[in-house]
Amino acid sequence: MGALEIINFYLVPGLVVGSIYALGAVGITLVFAILRYAHLAHGDLATLGAFLGLGLVTALGISPYLALTAVMALTAVVAVGIDRVFYDYLRERPKIVTVMASLGIALMVRAIVQMVWGVDSQTYTRGIVRPENWFGIRVRDRELITIVAMIVLVVALQLFLQRSKWGKAMRAMSDNPDLALLSGVDNGKVVTITWVIVGGLCAAAGLFLGLNFELKAMMGWSMLLPMFAAAILGGVGRVEGAVLGGLIVGVAEEMSTLFLPTEYKAATAFAILLLMLLVRPTGLLRGKVL
Amino acid sequence: MKLFQTAIAAALLGATALAAPAHADVKIGLIGGVTGPIAAMAPPMIASAQLAIDQVNANGGVLDGQKLIGVVGDSACNPQNGTDAATKAVNIEGVVAIVGPHCSGAVLAVANSVTVPAGIAIITPSGTSPEITSLDDKDTVFRTVPSDDYQGRALARTLLDRGTKKVAVAYLNNDYGKGLAEAFKSEFEAKGGEIAGYAAHEGEKASYRSNLAELASGGADTLVILDYGDGSGLTLLRQALENGFFENFVGADGMKSDATFKELGAENLTTFVASSPVGEKSEALEMFNKAFSEAGGDPSAIFVTTSYDAAFLMALAVEKAGGDKTKVAAAMREISSGSGETILPGEWAKAKELIAAGKAIDYKGAAGDHNFDEKGDVPGAYALFKVGANGFEMIGEMK
Amino acid sequence: MEWIGFANYAVFMAIFICIYALLSLGLNIQWGFTGLFNAGIAGFFAVGAYTSAVLTSPAADGRLGGFDLPFWVGWIGAMVAAALIAWPIGKICLRFRSDYLAIATIGVAEIIRLVIKSEDWLTNSARGITDIPRPLGDLSYTMSQLAYLGIVMAILLVAYLMVERQIASPWGRMMRAIRDNEDAARAMGKDVPYRRLEAFIFGSALMGLGGALFAHFNRSITPEAIDPMVATFLVWIMLILGGSGNNRGAILGVAVVWIIWSLSEIVTDQFPHEYAVKAKYLRIFLIGLMLQLVLRFRPEGLLPEASGERKPVGKPSD
Repeated sequence: MGALEIINFYLVPGLVVGSIYALGAVGITLVFAILRYAHLAHGDLATLGAFLGLGLVTALGISPYLALTAVMALTAVVAVGIDRVFYDYLRERPKIVTVMASLGIALMVRAIVQMVWGVDSQTYTRGIVRPENWFGIRVRDRELITIVAMIVLVVALQLFLQRSKWGKAMRAMSDNPDLALLSGVDNGKVVTITWVIVGGLCAAAGLFLGLNFELKAMMGWSMLLPMFAAAILGGVGRVEGAVLGGLIVGVAEEMSTLFLPTEYKAATAFAILLLMLLVRPTGLLRGKVL
Repeated sequence: MKLFQTAIAAALLGATALAAPAHADVKIGLIGGVTGPIAAMAPPMIASAQLAIDQVNANGGVLDGQKLIGVVGDSACNPQNGTDAATKAVNIEGVVAIVGPHCSGAVLAVANSVTVPAGIAIITPSGTSPEITSLDDKDTVFRTVPSDDYQGRALARTLLDRGTKKVAVAYLNNDYGKGLAEAFKSEFEAKGGEIAGYAAHEGEKASYRSNLAELASGGADTLVILDYGDGSGLTLLRQALENGFFENFVGADGMKSDATFKELGAENLTTFVASSPVGEKSEALEMFNKAFSEAGGDPSAIFVTTSYDAAFLMALAVEKAGGDKTKVAAAMREISSGSGETILPGEWAKAKELIAAGKAIDYKGAAGDHNFDEKGDVPGAYALFKVGANGFEMIGEMK
Repeated sequence: MEWIGFANYAVFMAIFICIYALLSLGLNIQWGFTGLFNAGIAGFFAVGAYTSAVLTSPAADGRLGGFDLPFWVGWIGAMVAAALIAWPIGKICLRFRSDYLAIATIGVAEIIRLVIKSEDWLTNSARGITDIPRPLGDLSYTMSQLAYLGIVMAILLVAYLMVERQIASPWGRMMRAIRDNEDAARAMGKDVPYRRLEAFIFGSALMGLGGALFAHFNRSITPEAIDPMVATFLVWIMLILGGSGNNRGAILGVAVVWIIWSLSEIVTDQFPHEYAVKAKYLRIFLIGLMLQLVLRFRPEGLLPEASGERKPVGKPSD
């Protein structure tokens, strides 16, 4: 098997899926670092984002790329709303209660998607797209855009976290919430900003998933476990770790078919994760808080 | 919060406002995987079963003009919810028989722990597992979908007849995909064909390009996809087409889904064929297609013909049994035994008259003749379909 | 729709509640009393169910067994097998902090699920195992349901009493001490990793037994029954809703969740049949919503842990 074949059929799809995992894993890791719980509605929020995009694409006839910012904003509003209505009251409680609440939210969001958009597989654009051929390397525009968009979003997020006042406040919250509170960080605002970012990232993950593959009501839920694996693999609370984790999981899943029976593809993410936990229990990049 | 409170209040209000059905109505359960992994397939299946029930009610109802009511239950495609839905249907709703469940695992659990002990007849339109054949079911479990074995073998013979000697097989890792794949493989190889790639895949992944690359490395130019056309089968077909891994594509009844040409475009599917069970009398299928289209359904959705037949057969059996739930299973054999006056889809009034007169009838359905063998299974007759301008078109019978 | 129908349905629900109560009790030992975030309940449930299925079903071609042994051998085998699987997992994973343990156990459970789903020689893969005997299953419908209810209730009672006794004993106090302040417990000379492993194995054995009881109830077991939603997350909801750290709460939570699950369908069934399918989605929404309401008004669980101050556990960065 030639190198081109490996790149075209294993590496490129792995990177595309990996970029989508990465977008989801970054959101998961942010919630972990700042709010300190596992957010199980993450996948279904991504589904919601993807279907909101479908709504815009069909209603306005615009391209999904144009819909991206609007969808990110809409999903961010939804995420903040969910936090206000459901999670906020539980903040002082053991975190496991919020984890369970997020599981309930996952069911509710999925039910809404099924009621509004139905359960059929759908696509943004009908038909098939054959890849361009760049000196033997076969890539589609949408695949390049997915990878580039992921990088742009993550870099923007990193800049925000490092440079802006609120980004610094978020990092402070994640380092030491009590100390942050004492030094005058507005807890509520930080939570809101976190949800704006997380909602936006969810929507981007969902939209790119729908763009590269199909939209299904269960699409986000079935991405949830690999996304969590990616977030932990990279080291909890590390944005760049989550990206690395996502890409590794994505590429490893595709590569696994070379060695393993294909029905075990879904197990690859966990096998890597377990191995990594054994040799380096903190995650690839030392897990810390932001 | 207000919004949700209002929503609940509205739901409860709605619940009380809608009058409960009159006691004299006869109920059958329609249990399927409405939520869960086959959520995309279940609604048209339930709708086509409902069409059969509507036809019954429009043509005189059951027994002494009573209404037949289909009580929808959600098995979520797992045994936990399946047994819950079935127990509820049998004990609280008081159904006389059940059409469903859809998934084999739920069928096995429901039959074993609910309907066989309670003596309720069930007929599944889509549970294809061979384990259902060997159930110790006191003759109460039927199906309108042939066991995978028949279809897999028929497909293998048809491909060889059409001159395809070398294929790769991608199958969904569940009872449906596996059953078909094994039957296909053994027949194809026994008759001299070559399997140049044979692999299972999990249903919920987004990318199958590496799977396809592995399969294509065997050198076959035909890919047999044994999966569902509105789930991962669609993803697989799309990625195979987009990347040019294979030239020809063959599917079984699960791939004969309108989602394929709706999403991929008929112009891209000129080399795609799919098999599906059909009746001996092809007008049965046409009658169903017409009626279901008029009712707003899509006749090329997966398993709608078997669902319709299952519900219509069940209605006939209930009529024949005089509404006595203990006799429904025995009546099921009488109404589709292969001898007697032929009843085609929708011919309820005629069937009702004949039953009242004590004459033998024989239902010939949209998905086959449904002459049950001693296990409650049906042998399948199949035809091969291709994608035309107006959906799937039959291109020939299969042996 | 007579009373006998309701009674039959109530018996069915009660059987389900007893089976899931075993899972919830097992989880309570691990999470409620020891603070171990086991998110791989489905894995132990599956190992128990399939072990008992292989041991007790009649011989079959192409897969392991069946060995046609009496049901009680299968049930003991299920507990032993679940415990044996739990041992290496616990040995390796318990040193991870709480969230890592969660994702590690999810991973193990998913791998177990894929093996069960794919390996013909072991579990008959996707088709599952049938012909599993059900004790007293030859009686009439109502009687056999009642008999099985009696059996699972007796088992649940024994398990409950055993767990209660353990928890009230010095062992239980030590476990809570480890959960609430690991460093202090360690300083007092407790062998923390060993004790945790004990709790993990004990809880997993109960989950395995729950799986076996489930398989025998349905006389069949298929991979669809070990989906993480119905076999892991649902149990977590039950325990947290009922009150972790309280065994009666754990059992009550199971009952409440199954009743919510079931009543929601009776509510949405009232819609006319044109909306019957959509009503099922609404039902899932209602289930999620009711979960939110219970969590909001009883966030400590319906029956909170009785004694002592309870430090919130499970902070990701503890």
